[in-house]
Amino acid sequence: MSLHDAAQWLSDTQFSTALREDPYPYPVLGCIHVLSIALFGGMVAIGNLRVLGYTMRDIPVSQVIDQFRPWKWTGFAILAASGVLLMLSEPLDCYNSIFFWVSLALLALVGLNAWIFRSGIYRRVVEWDSAAIAPQQARNWAWVSLALWIALVFAGRLIAFA
Amino acid sequence: MIAEIAQVAAQTAKDSISLNPINRWEWVFPLVESIHICGFTLLVGTVAVLDLRLSDLVLTRQSIAQLARALAPWIYLGIAVQFITGPYLFTASPPDYLHNPSFRMKMYFLAAALLFHFTAVRGTAGKSQPIGVGWRRLVAFVSIALWVGVMFSGLSIGFFAVND
Repeated sequence: MSLHDAAQWLSDTQFSTALREDPYPYPVLGCIHVLSIALFGGMVAIGNLRVLGYTMRDIPVSQVIDQFRPWKWTGFAILAASGVLLMLSEPLDCYNSIFFWVSLALLALVGLNAWIFRSGIYRRVVEWDSAAIAPQQARNWAWVSLALWIALVFAGRLIAFA
Repeated sequence: MIAEIAQVAAQTAKDSISLNPINRWEWVFPLVESIHICGFTLLVGTVAVLDLRLSDLVLTRQSIAQLARALAPWIYLGIAVQFITGPYLFTASPPDYLHNPSFRMKMYFLAAALLFHFTAVRGTAGKSQPIGVGWRRLVAFVSIALWVGVMFSGLSIGFFAVND
């Protein structure tokens, strides 16, 4: 079974058809999806801006990042769940949209970037925790993270376009 | 004479709408809208963090006033991005937006959310003697509810097919 056949099969399921044809699921899911982007993205942005030294310089980096963690995971779980449901409502359109695949690739890069940060420079955070501006390596990570998230918002929005 | 002037004015308005880059190239609208969503994330994301702090749910080791000061410039930047991209999206088709019930509702929610932010939220956050957490949670809840209203009515503008 090819990926296209899988998308076709998904699209033909009763669940997918209901999501697509009922008037309420799409706007409600869209609303939840964008809300979780605000909750999750706002904290990602503030965390990165702290590493870059653009805000809350007098608060240690680890305090900002650790206190945001449970909220970020909550936001990400809602974002992913509503995203999967939005995809299930239009599996064929997603399969045919280049920006859907770009979004998935960017999401993978976001995950990879977060993993590199946590297993690398963040392990030694005690050494630079209170620095107003983090070391170069951590700042590079923060810029990449911000850029990937902004690109992800663009790619996500453009799924509906092409 | 007056009828002619009115006709020329109407034609000029129509021409300027079709010459507008947002209507000349179909990819301009989704791109500007993407910037609008990024601005929304910055604005409402930072406001939500402030509201969560008012509710004692996050960053409780920092004082409310300290966090409000640190977040203020980013909230202003978010507002600036929205007040540039939003009106530009509006120019794509002003008459349609004005007659769109979701658009009108979004403007009411926006006015209420901004007013509430700069009076109640800022007022509560800036108090030198912190007020009780019950009141702070009420203020935070109303603030978040108003921004959710802005977003939901904004999203539903598209469901009334403005661009067709």
